[in-house]
Amino acid sequence: MATTGTVHQTKWWSGGKSPFNLEYGKLMMWYFLMSDAFTFGAFLISYGSIRFSQNFWPDPNVVFNAFPGAGHANLPLAFVSVMTFILIVSSVTMVLAVHAGHKGDKKGVIKWMWWTILGGLAFLGCQAWEWHHLITGEHAVLVDGKIEMIGQTMTGNPWGNIVEDNTALTAALNTTSHETLVHLAHEFPKEGTATSIEALEKMSNAQLSGMVDVAHAHIREKGPVAFGGYFYGITGFHGFHVFSGVIINIVMLIMTQKNVFANRGHYLMIEKAGLYWHFVDLVWVFVFLCFYLI
Amino acid sequence: MKSSFHGTEAKQKNMSEAINVQHGAAHVEHHDAHSHGHHKETFVSKYIFSMDHKTIAKQFLITGIIWAIVGGLFSVLFRLQLGYPGQSFPILETFFGNWAKGGQIQPEFYYALITMHGTVLVFFVLTAGLSGTFANFLIPLQIGARDMASPFLNMLSYWFFFLASVVMISSLFISTGPASGGWTVYPPLSALGQASSGSKLGMDLWIVSMALFVVSSLLGGLNYISTILNLRTKGMSMTRMPLTIWALFFTAVLGVLSFPVLLSGLILLLFDRNLGTSFYLSDIVVNGEILANEGGSAILFQHLFWFLGHPEVYIILLPAMGMVSEILSVNSRKPIFGYMAMLGSLFAITILAFLVWAHHMFVTGLNPFLGSIFVLLTLLIAVPSAIKVFNWLTTLWRGNIRFTPATLFAIGFVSLFISGGLTGIFLGNSTIDIHLHDTMFVVAHFHIVMGVASMFGMFAGIYHWFPKMFGRYLNSTLGYIHFWVTMIGSYLIFWPMHYQGLAGIPRRYLDKRGWVSFNDFPELDKMITIVSIIVFAVQLMFVFNFFYSIFKGRKVTNPNPWGANTLEWTTPLRPGHGNWDGEIPEVHRWAYDYGKDGREFIPQTEPIGENESKH
Amino acid sequence: MSNHYDPTKDISPSAAYPEVSFHHHSDDAEFKRRVKKTTILLSVITIIELAIGLLIYNIHKGDSPNALLVLMFKGVVCILTIAKAYYIVSVFMHLGDEIRNMIMTIVVPLLLFVWFIIAFIADGNSYKNLRNKYDLHFKETTTPAPHHSAEKPGEKPAEKSGKE
Repeated sequence: MATTGTVHQTKWWSGGKSPFNLEYGKLMMWYFLMSDAFTFGAFLISYGSIRFSQNFWPDPNVVFNAFPGAGHANLPLAFVSVMTFILIVSSVTMVLAVHAGHKGDKKGVIKWMWWTILGGLAFLGCQAWEWHHLITGEHAVLVDGKIEMIGQTMTGNPWGNIVEDNTALTAALNTTSHETLVHLAHEFPKEGTATSIEALEKMSNAQLSGMVDVAHAHIREKGPVAFGGYFYGITGFHGFHVFSGVIINIVMLIMTQKNVFANRGHYLMIEKAGLYWHFVDLVWVFVFLCFYLI
Repeated sequence: MKSSFHGTEAKQKNMSEAINVQHGAAHVEHHDAHSHGHHKETFVSKYIFSMDHKTIAKQFLITGIIWAIVGGLFSVLFRLQLGYPGQSFPILETFFGNWAKGGQIQPEFYYALITMHGTVLVFFVLTAGLSGTFANFLIPLQIGARDMASPFLNMLSYWFFFLASVVMISSLFISTGPASGGWTVYPPLSALGQASSGSKLGMDLWIVSMALFVVSSLLGGLNYISTILNLRTKGMSMTRMPLTIWALFFTAVLGVLSFPVLLSGLILLLFDRNLGTSFYLSDIVVNGEILANEGGSAILFQHLFWFLGHPEVYIILLPAMGMVSEILSVNSRKPIFGYMAMLGSLFAITILAFLVWAHHMFVTGLNPFLGSIFVLLTLLIAVPSAIKVFNWLTTLWRGNIRFTPATLFAIGFVSLFISGGLTGIFLGNSTIDIHLHDTMFVVAHFHIVMGVASMFGMFAGIYHWFPKMFGRYLNSTLGYIHFWVTMIGSYLIFWPMHYQGLAGIPRRYLDKRGWVSFNDFPELDKMITIVSIIVFAVQLMFVFNFFYSIFKGRKVTNPNPWGANTLEWTTPLRPGHGNWDGEIPEVHRWAYDYGKDGREFIPQTEPIGENESKH
Repeated sequence: MSNHYDPTKDISPSAAYPEVSFHHHSDDAEFKRRVKKTTILLSVITIIELAIGLLIYNIHKGDSPNALLVLMFKGVVCILTIAKAYYIVSVFMHLGDEIRNMIMTIVVPLLLFVWFIIAFIADGNSYKNLRNKYDLHFKETTTPAPHHSAEKPGEKPAEKSGKE
């Protein structure tokens, strides 16, 4: 039966067989992914809609320029390209796991599933680092006539326009909190005023204000709040998909090891898990496009 | 090889093996561990956690009926307020306490009632109750399958719906009350807890309940689609399928592609409510306090909502259309007129359903040029709709019509669909919509064309397939009373609302006495209220008929009581799990050979005769 | 076969899935070559995308960013992304190996995205224009100053700037 000779002149739609020659489970998985594509599509399109309704939107190259262990080096898009490659590679290992399944090669399936799971975990680790960096990495922002240190959160966005009006900034220093002034004086000292944090902490606000070099501090206005909401919302929803994909893959791995598929005679479940995993990769391609590239 | 699936051993009494034959797939996956033992049906596995599509259909139907009573009762309550504003009904206070202080419906309660009425009827009754029931019941029976592609996911689909129901019901009993920002839950009202009591916990529960509902409809829809594609019996090509199946197929497609968008919108709303984000919020002052939210767009939510909301209208309407096509053809003993045109118009409606959502938003600040494109696309829907109406009427034309309650309800559906559809042309034009938006005219339009019409389709389906579901007939006399009172009552309730709307009376107002210009029709409102109470009472009579007939109705003795061609009537009187005792029958013709070559009907299973004329 | 169906005895896929009549078998070496090719292709496309991303960054840093040029580059990135998606779906997910009608049931519904995207984006843009017209506070507080504004105070900010 499993010959290709039957292909010719087959009446696919006449009933009694699948018109696509696919078993129902794979069909359902495909249509589920289709449906999920509309969930992600709706998220990304609302992001686009909000973005087009704003006069200003942060440049992703400015926001995503950090790399673990590289300190303050300006490396735009470097880390996210690592994440993208991790996901592409884990997609490739998944293809190989499915292929091994086709051949009934249990050892191959186990090996490649392991690599896929590791890839997924590595991606999640990267995402956790990136979120942590964005949330805790605070930036000087001019808010209502004073300077504040805020991170990129669901409700705050430090990536507005760079304030070029130095007189306004100098005026703002007068109402800025001590803590922030210490930070600014430490990071952006005027020439010849650099001292240790301990020394700065003991100084008065007036003294500190005189020491901050506002022209080079890259102080910004607040940016559009929705930027953070969408970034965490969508990458979080994608991360949740990666996470559930890893869980599914682990279950598949255990089932493979327990010979469930070998006894069943086919590894179709691996194929379905594979479809899901590739979809996660596919969504990332678009998240990557919408948040990091354009 | 084939015989091992369809033949030899299939004549056994224990049908669960026969299901294994056709549905090895499902059982391989879910029953691997215990596939050797015989499945012993316990009460729980037969009636509660059943995987039989017929039982699941009945579960959907009965849950839907319970919700319909609840939702209908809500409408009677707020009609009391609209018909008798200011009058005290002490009994209301007895039942609802503070919600009806002094026997008068309080404003918060009124808004909760209309919100829940809409939510319950649209989602729980006319989506789950209608397509959940009939897709589950009819798809495997009419395409010749032993069960759904995945009976297990099908069962989950019902239980997610059940869970959604439980959450929604529980929101009725919290101190701040259920969601009360309208069934469309537009932000900012729905996003800000401080804005109204109905936007507090009740709104969160509403969102959670709807999320569960989306999961349920997704599990169901995926099953319907893959069952229809993959599990048709031999000879059942797509164009031989009854129109019911086509309609349910397109319904499932609509649901699978549009519900996720609502889910996304609701997730963002949940974030706005609980995490302080600003997706939909900007420049808002509540009780003198300026909110920090900035940069969102309330119109965005409306776009997301109506991207589901409009297809939802057709999710409700298409199953009714499909069943009406089938019932009209069977009972006028004539082939359906223009099968391919019916199919094409179903397809066209499905496509257009996705392209027209913003016609609900003409006055929200939508770009007027964009609006004009939406006008054009919206008016295009008139074409397939008119084709369908024409074909129903020509199917009836010169037929030997048997006026069973099902037929009457089907004809009533066509009548309502015409009446309500015509006012859709008014509202689809943005220029006229600017005047009519948010008036009673809109209420009249969508209740007639979608609400009541689909209820009629559902009633037609219940009267027609009750014998197959329960092996007994519904009482016809009660059925006729049910039809005539509901039919006349519906027109009496909703027709006058057009005039109110044209006169500029807004919908959703608690008490119109404060406005001279809105206070022109107090007597009319009273009449509408009285009729709606009568109509509601008659629905209770139907519910009585339904449950009474399950146990005491006249027994069906003829396996094909309506003389229909479709496959469900070739099963035993009360089919077990697996539907057919022997092999699944093979199909040789389309479903509409009525009155052909002098024969009243020719079942689909009958091979084409040698001298048979072409249809 | 015993008198009832036992999935553990007949274990070929076609027994478990009676609606399926044959299974795709591809040549091992041929398959591996295809996967390798696709992997390299995806990597190369990603690198090109990153290069364009950095290019846009540098254009922005320059004195007078050319909005049209930036838009063009962004368009190229979008097309490259769609190419990437095509390869993932067609090779990794094996959609390219399925029956044509199956491919159609996946691809045709995706066309709905066209109007979905156009309408949402167009209305978002219209909302911005409306607010700039009627909400001067919004316009003044959110419009970015023209690049190095000190020299050219009277100039209107570029219309396209919101999209960047």
